[in-house]
Amino acid sequence: MQRLFARYPALRAWLLLLPAATWLFIFFIAPLFIVLVYSFLERGTYGGVVWQFSLENFRRTFDSLYFSTFLRSFYIAAVTTFICLLLGFPLAYYISTRPPQRRSTLILALMIPFWTNFLIRTYAWLTLLRTNTGLINVSLMSLGIIDKPLPLFGNDFAIILGLVYGWLPDMVLPIYATLERLDTSLLEAASDLYASSSKVFRRVIWPLSLPGVVAGSMLVFIPSLGAFVTPAILGGGKSLMIGNIISNQFLAAHDWPFGSALSFVMMAVMLLATLIYFRSTTSEERMQP
Amino acid sequence: MSDGLAVELRQVVKRFGEVTAVESVSLQIQHGEFFSLLGPSGCGKTTTLRLIAGFEMPTSGDIIINGEMQGHLPPYQRPVNTVFQHYALFPHMTVAQNVAFGLEMKKVSKDEITRRVGEALELVHLGKMGSRRPKQLSGGQQQRVALARALVNRPKVLLLDEPLGALDLKLRKAMQGELKALQEQVGITFIYVTHDQEEALTMSDRIAVMSAGHVFQVGFPEDIYENPNTRFVADFIGETNFLHGTVHRRGPLAEIAIAENVILPARWASDELPAGSSATLSIRPEKILIASGDEKPPSDGEFVSVPGQVAEVVYLGTDTRYVVRIVDGVQTVVRVQNLEMGNKRFKVGDAVMLHWRVEHGRILKE
Ligand SMILES: Nc1ncnc2c1ncn2[C@@H]1O[C@H](COP(=O)(O)OP(=O)(O)OP(=O)(O)O)[C@@H](O)[C@H]1O
Ligand SMILES: [Mg+2]
Repeated sequence: MQRLFARYPALRAWLLLLPAATWLFIFFIAPLFIVLVYSFLERGTYGGVVWQFSLENFRRTFDSLYFSTFLRSFYIAAVTTFICLLLGFPLAYYISTRPPQRRSTLILALMIPFWTNFLIRTYAWLTLLRTNTGLINVSLMSLGIIDKPLPLFGNDFAIILGLVYGWLPDMVLPIYATLERLDTSLLEAASDLYASSSKVFRRVIWPLSLPGVVAGSMLVFIPSLGAFVTPAILGGGKSLMIGNIISNQFLAAHDWPFGSALSFVMMAVMLLATLIYFRSTTSEERMQP
Repeated sequence: MSDGLAVELRQVVKRFGEVTAVESVSLQIQHGEFFSLLGPSGCGKTTTLRLIAGFEMPTSGDIIINGEMQGHLPPYQRPVNTVFQHYALFPHMTVAQNVAFGLEMKKVSKDEITRRVGEALELVHLGKMGSRRPKQLSGGQQQRVALARALVNRPKVLLLDEPLGALDLKLRKAMQGELKALQEQVGITFIYVTHDQEEALTMSDRIAVMSAGHVFQVGFPEDIYENPNTRFVADFIGETNFLHGTVHRRGPLAEIAIAENVILPARWASDELPAGSSATLSIRPEKILIASGDEKPPSDGEFVSVPGQVAEVVYLGTDTRYVVRIVDGVQTVVRVQNLEMGNKRFKVGDAVMLHWRVEHGRILKE
């Protein structure tokens, strides 16, 4: 064995890569390939596929019903990302300016909700938001503050609320990471060069934290676009996103090829978003604090 | 009145919780002066500079810049600029944008900004580097950008915190000369922090020596070196011999007994001490002449002469360093230049005579 390695130095590297490569192949590449193949086939009557080449599935994704859901999903994901940024940046900034020990405590507090299953946390929102029996509407009505229940549930509001709640830490953490590495003497230098606090923010803090902002936005936008659990529970079955339609194709409509095609179109959109990110920042900027 | 002064500190104190970083510091710095704050690590130099810049607010005391009380003015309202130890150049801006930053904040017109940035970069010999990023420059070049970025604003006072600290020795020496020449050219008051005594001695008009938050002595470089007023200053600046003893006789020319039969005259470095109190005589190694026992000292002036025995000889190229034992337990270092004309050489064990001018021996408080 030793002699073999001596003769072929690359062999050792390949052997070491083998477990990870196998794992990736079985659980990522192979399923992806199956979905890709399915998306060009015709549906079987009770699920499954008929081995007959077809482009019909991709044409159908542009039917107005599905296309408008795409657009709505896009809109919901964009609004979610924007709200996460609006809430996440000040939070990240606040944490990064605390003394080191407090910072870790606050980051921990931010992570604690993750210890509970996402599904359970989403159901918790359900009990708060439900129209007639939800805790918020019941309390407000019994206190006499409102006399009709507020539309808190089964709409875009509920979905966006759930998504913002779910993905906020993904926005905060990368921004926090860039802000924490920000050299405070840069802020002092700006202030020394006659910049007021707001100018220091606009001219130094914001541009230097952009890589974190972009990374956080991607981390929120992409899962929001493909969200499935949140719209299923908080959308109340009425307000749907593309993730729900895909799951319906597989589970209810028994149209696997069409579900596969929808998945691929969505993946293409996400890939495009990622490419735009990599284009907009040079590799040097991505590395910088 | 403090009119004539660029910067004045009046009994400034700065505490961080329990730690006192600066303890009742008073300084008067003239217009156009190259003024250094010199002291060992942790003595409060940076804190003093940050107090003047406005990054820290004094616990008590006043800071007056150009005749105006600074009170709690924020840094961006003070007529001073800082060159940071690690330059703190903005990494997302080009060199020219870095230099233009202060002028933009002051809403200077576009044309004037372009002109002044160009001039500032020329001044520091970086005329062609304007479009580069700070990361694409060497350490010495970054240092110059930091200088240009501060000088372009024509501040009343420039604050520099160990600006050469990150450079290698050779570049450092070159930059020392350049910096000093630049200061004379622009005529701006420089307050310069360093822990390198040689740097302070060669560059400064005046030096304040600090230790543990206190200013021990303020003076011209020659003064600080020749007439240190405390043991700390004598020890920190250059090499010196300390001969411990007791005050034998007071008066303008005191006498100090360093051993039973060895009584040496010397000058007071600070206030006189009563007879019998313990004191230290300090004498620089290069001020001592070493001669064979029968040689007479030069006839001009008053000399102190002490017999001794050579205990150690170290040849250092330009110099020879002797350790001479005066009596048991008392020895002194003598440095002699190896001149072409030939100073006499001595060997270990030789009986010698040490001579020095009375005014070079100084009595310091213990
Ligand atoms: N922000 C702060 N909080 C607490 N203590 C501080 C702070 N800044 C400085 N100190 C303390 O004040 C003292 C003086 O620090 P300062 O930075 O002024 O020293 P320095 O003379 O510049 O030293 P060096 O040559 O190492 O830079 C030190 O004991 C330091 O620990
Ligand atoms: Mg310092």
